[in-house]
Formats: sequence, C-alpha cells, structure tokens
Amino acid sequence: MPKILLVEDNEMNRDMLSRRLQRKGYVILTAVDGKQGYSLACSETPDLILMDISLPAMDGWEVTRLLKANENTRHIPIIVLTAHAMVSDRQKAFEAGCDDYDTKPVEFGRLSEKIENLLVERKLS
Amino acid sequence: MNLQNLSIRRKLIFITMLTSSAALILSSVSFLIYDLISFRRQLSQDLMTQGEIIAFNSGAAMAFKDESAAAATLSALKAKEDIVAAGLYSPEGKLFAHYLHTEKSLPQSLPSHSQEASYRFDKGYLEVFQSVTMNGERVGTLFLLSDMRQWSIRARRYSGIILIVVLICSSLALLLSSKLQRLISKPILHLEDTIRMVSSNKNYEVRATRFYGDEIGRLIDGFNTMLSEIQQRDTALQRANDELQTSTHELEVEIIHRKRTQDELLTAKQAAEQANRAKSAFLANMSHELRTPLNAIIGYSEMLEEEVQDSGKVANVHDLKKIQTAGKLLLSLINDVLDLSKIEAGKMGLHLESFDVSTMIEEMVSTLSPAIAKNANTFQLNASDDVAMMRADVTKVRQILLNLLSNACKFTDHGTISLNVDRSAFGGQDWIRFQVRDTGIGITEKQQENLFQEFAQADVSIARRYGGTGLGLAISHRFVQMMKGRISVESVPGQGSVFTVQLPAQAAVEQTESTLLGETGSGSDSSPEVKTNADTILVIDDDVAVRDLMSRSLTKLGFRVVAAASGEEGLRLAKQLRPLVITLDVIMPDWDGWTVLNKLKADSDLAEIPVIMVTIVDNEAMGRDLGASSYLIKPVDRERLVTLIEKHRAIRTSTLAQASAVPASWPPKGHKSSRKSEAVTIRRR
Repeated sequence: MPKILLVEDNEMNRDMLSRRLQRKGYVILTAVDGKQGYSLACSETPDLILMDISLPAMDGWEVTRLLKANENTRHIPIIVLTAHAMVSDRQKAFEAGCDDYDTKPVEFGRLSEKIENLLVERKLS
Repeated sequence: MNLQNLSIRRKLIFITMLTSSAALILSSVSFLIYDLISFRRQLSQDLMTQGEIIAFNSGAAMAFKDESAAAATLSALKAKEDIVAAGLYSPEGKLFAHYLHTEKSLPQSLPSHSQEASYRFDKGYLEVFQSVTMNGERVGTLFLLSDMRQWSIRARRYSGIILIVVLICSSLALLLSSKLQRLISKPILHLEDTIRMVSSNKNYEVRATRFYGDEIGRLIDGFNTMLSEIQQRDTALQRANDELQTSTHELEVEIIHRKRTQDELLTAKQAAEQANRAKSAFLANMSHELRTPLNAIIGYSEMLEEEVQDSGKVANVHDLKKIQTAGKLLLSLINDVLDLSKIEAGKMGLHLESFDVSTMIEEMVSTLSPAIAKNANTFQLNASDDVAMMRADVTKVRQILLNLLSNACKFTDHGTISLNVDRSAFGGQDWIRFQVRDTGIGITEKQQENLFQEFAQADVSIARRYGGTGLGLAISHRFVQMMKGRISVESVPGQGSVFTVQLPAQAAVEQTESTLLGETGSGSDSSPEVKTNADTILVIDDDVAVRDLMSRSLTKLGFRVVAAASGEEGLRLAKQLRPLVITLDVIMPDWDGWTVLNKLKADSDLAEIPVIMVTIVDNEAMGRDLGASSYLIKPVDRERLVTLIEKHRAIRTSTLAQASAVPASWPPKGHKSSRKSEAVTIRRR
C-alpha cells in the first residue's frame, strides 16, 4: 500500500485527513511540525507527502526546499496545502519545487484525485 | 565773528546798541558843533569889543607918540589870559608898541604890517585888527591875538560830557535791550527747544508755549497745529501699525492653529490608515482562524457521511449533508469578506495571464452544475467562435462569472439561465462580453441603484430567504473595475435579469503585472529553462544597430532578447534556446535570411518556432512560401512587432496551458495537470 506522510500541526485536520486517507487504504504517517516532517521523510521515504505550509519550528516552504535539495528525498511528490488561495502562493509553491498544490479547507475528493494522479505518475516513471 | 551767525539774543542787543549809540552820538556831536561855532563867534565879538576899548584908550598915546603910555595901555591886557599878544602900529603901519602875555610868546607872531580893521581865525588863533582914532582921525592900528583858550576848554569839557552821556546811555541801552530782547528771543528759543525735544525724543505730545500774540506767537500756533497734525497721523499710523501687528499675530496664531489641525489630521489619517491596515490584517487573520475550524467541520461531516453510508445507516446522511452545506456557505462568506478587505486595503493585485476563454467557461460550468440542477433550471452556453484567447486575471474573471451565474441559479426556479460570450471591437481595442441571462425574480429599478455596493442586498427579505452577504456583486464590480471593464444590469421584476460584463481582451499592463514579470524573471529556481525561454526572443540580424534597438525595446517589455550576428550563429542559438519567436533579417553575409528560414523549417525541433521576417526586401510571398509567420518591412513599426510577439506568446501560453494543469507561465516539473484533474473531479460529481 502506498505510504503517505501528512505534515500538519492542527490536530483536527491531521486526525480527519489521516482517517479519511486510511479509509482509502493508504498507510499514513503523521508529523506535527516541520522538523519532525523532515526527519520522517528522510527515515521513512514515503511515497507522497502532504505538506501544510504554516507549521511551527520550520515552515512548509523550508521543508519542501530541503527535501527537494536532498538526493534521497527529491523524488517524493509533495502536495502543498495552504489556507491562502492566492495566485502568488501557488507560484511560490511551484518555485519551491512542489508537485501540486491545494487550498484548505480540503475538498477531499479533489485531493485524493491529485494524490492518485501523482502516485500513478510516479509508478509510470 | 560773523554777525549773521550770532544768536538772536546777541543780534537783538547788538542792533539795539548800535542804533541807540549812533543816534546819541550823532545828536550830541551836532549839538557840540553848533555850540562851538556859536561860542567862537561870541569870542570874536568879545575880542572886537575889547579891541575898540583899547583902541580908544590908546588913541591919545598914539597921537602923541607916547610909547610908554601906549605900552601901559596894552599891559592892561594882562588880566586877559587868552590874549597872548597885542601890538600898536603907526599909521604908516609900523609896530609902535607891543605886548606879549608871556615872554615866551613869539614877537614874530605879531604881523610886521598893519592891516585893515578885520578879524580872522588862523591856526587855532583869533586875530583882530582895529583902527585907532583920535578926534575922528586915524592915528594907528591895534592888533590883538587870542589863543581862544576858553573855546578849547569848552570844547574839551563838552566832549567829555558827551562821552560820559554816551557811555551811560549805552549802558542803559544794554541793560534795557538785554531785558527786552527776551520778548522776541524767549519764544524763539523756546520754540527751538521744543523742536529739538520733538526731533530727538520723537515725542509729538509736547507743545510750544505761546507767550505773546505777535508773529512769533502765531508761528508757535502754526507749529503746534502742525505738531497736532503730525501727532494725529502718528497715532493713526501707530494704530494702523498696531492693527497690522495684531492681525499678523492673529494670522500667526491661525497658521499655528491650522498647522496643528493639519498635524492632527495627518495623525488621524495615519491612525485611520493604520486602523484600516490593522482591520485588514485582522480580517485576513480572522478568516484564516475561521477557516481552520470550518475545515474540521466540513471534513468531519464528509468523513462521517462516508462512514455512515458504508455502515448503511442512511437516515443520518441528510443531516450530515446539511452540516456540509452550511459549512460551505459559511466558507464562501468568509472568502467574500476576505476578498473585500483585500480590495479595500489595496492588496488585491491583478495577475494577468493569457488563457483560453472557452476552457475557463467549461471548467466553471462544471463546477456550477449542482447549483444549476438545484432549482431545476436549464443552462445554455452560447460562445461565439472568435472569442478564443484573452489576457486578464483568470481567477477574477472566473469569480465574477461564478458569482453572476450562482446568483442567477439562486434567484431562478424552473427557468433558464444562459451565458453568452462574444468578442467585439470598439474604442480602439477588443472586448470580450459575458452576458448572464436568467428568467428569475428580477430586480426592481430602485434595487438596481445599490446593487453593486457593498453590503447592499436588493432586499433584506432576500437575505433571509436566499442567504448571502451581498458582497458578491460588490466584489465582482471591483474586479471588473480593476481590469478596466464595465458591468451593468438590466432587469424586469418577475421576468428576469441580464448582467453584462465587458472586459478588455488584452487587459492593460498594470503595475502588479510588471512586478509579477520581474519576479518571474529573477526568482526562477524551479524551472529556469522553460520559463525564460517562454519569453525569449532571438534576433538574427547582421546590423548591430538593429540588434541593439530590438534588444532594448523588447527588453523593456519584459522579454529576454538574445541576438545573433549571423545566420549560422542564429541557427545554433535557436537549437539551444528554443525561443518564443525568432526575428530574421534577409540580407546577411554567408547565409542569407531565406537560407536560415529554410534550415529552421527543415528542422523538426525548430519548425514550430514562429519566425517574423524583419527586412528591407519587399518579398512577402517568398517569406510566406518558406514558412515565415509574419513579414515586416524595415523600418520596423514597433507597435506591430510587439503585437505580433504578444500574439505568439498568447498562442504558446494556451498550448502550454492545454498541456499542463497550471497557468503556462510556470508549468511544474514532471507533473501534468492539476487543473485538468480538478475538472475531472468536478465532472465526476
């Protein structure tokens, strides 16, 4: 089963999203801040990362940049989740090297679609 | 000492003295002269009389030639002091007897011959000749010589008296004039003092005292009148001055007051701006804070719904859906408020990009389909073929149309909602017109007035019945304004409404866009190759001036310009860079433009790149045959060149947009499409 790392500091969001994804059959790892997220990503090498942007300790942009700079984690697709629906945020997301982008509150159907797409794509490549 | 420069007092004394002394001296001297003349006459009369007596007495002696008797007679003259000599002459004229008062008296003073009886004055002496007769017969001549001693004494005495009198009178005159000159000098001196006081102290209040009613008195009167006049003017001047000072002071106070007010206003303005910023920040923050719990509400209710459906307890699904709907409505309200606060804070920028209008509409309509279906409405889309591409802020255009269409859905029941899109040209530019038409409840004219204003729903009852913040149209209105477009409404209550939005097909270059371009140019760490090349123009020209000119004018518009001096170099760069557009000169050394064009079109990798011929050779047919996309004749019309390049960029962007999910200016690496997946999701629902 694909392994997804969810980096999210808000407990409810984390709980809800992880449960729903688990119901879809994914294996879910959770991290509550940027630092934990980064170390989990390095140690567990998940198949995909869902990354909240406003995180304590280290923000989502920073974690994304670090992961994309790391030889071992560069291949992991990252979907950034942000509360700001600004175009500039989207741009920032792609500049930081994210693979996709979604706004909160998450529309679960759309997000799971994106996850599936990325996973399929990765399998193909 | 000059007489003229003497003080008046001295002048007066001097004049008085001179006048009185002159008069006195003149009168005294004339009197003296008269007196001395008459006295001398009297003396000569006396001497004549005496002579007659002596002549009578000496008649006998003369007749008898008695010398001693004659001398004795003469010696009687001894008593007379003033007779210094006397003589008796014979009829023949010879000196017979003589008398000398003193021995010292000179005998030669006696004339040697007798003369006829007479008298005369000679050198201070009086001489008298007298005939001596005896019985009527002339017997001799008497001579008397007087030194007029009495006269001299008298003259001396009189002179002395006159001198004393003159001295006394002069003293008296001096005394009097000294006293009396004050009559004239005192007022004048006083006047002088007053004048000095006025001129030195600038005190116009003093007045000269008028002592007498004479000319000086009148002069003083005149002076005083003049002084009062001056004083009045001075006072008036002073008053005017004071008033001026007062008003100047008032003015200064006013200025200070105004300055203070201005400062206060400025402070107030700053405070207001600060407050507004704080408000916007608060709203942005709050909406974020509101979204987090909403996130949970929507998410958990969705999750619950899934679980409930899995477990088969369908009865609760309806309630859960209500929670979801309410949550989503609340979310849209928060989004509206956030948008408006951003607009008001001036933080809402335009992010212009070229996009395909029909694709955008297609996506939007699929999003809307549940709303259309909700009130059993039917939807019609009429888009004319020439609409194609437009350049605008796609997010905002989408939001405007979503708002108009969801309003139409909300206020129409069992009706028809249509969206018409067409392109037209007026006012020197192309416009895209979106028209949303419904057969709903409509809007009265009165309601239309406030339709596009914030927080102004057509009717309070509507808010209760249909929900919504009333911000949607206000936001749409602001967005349309930002893109320099127009929004209008026509409606007949009970029959339906038509909302028309007109937007420029090429939205004006706003500051926000140039900022965006700048950002794109500099911060290109994600995919520099693709990004920069989307804006790269390759200029192939052997003329350095043309290369420079093109490079400068196109760089200014945000393009990256690479220049090649020869066809060979141009071809190499084209392979390396895959530019957006190539501009190509014809007349060049080695390979000419036709050769280069041939080679470009023969290469399957480069054939797609549009080539704009920029040349003085007028052979457009040749260019077209060889595959050039446009043909410009030098000197180049810059506007035209830019338009062509923009057109190619738009085409390129749309091609990329179709191939990629995100807007073409920043296609992500190794990932196909988020927008496409979005569309797929919507279609599935």
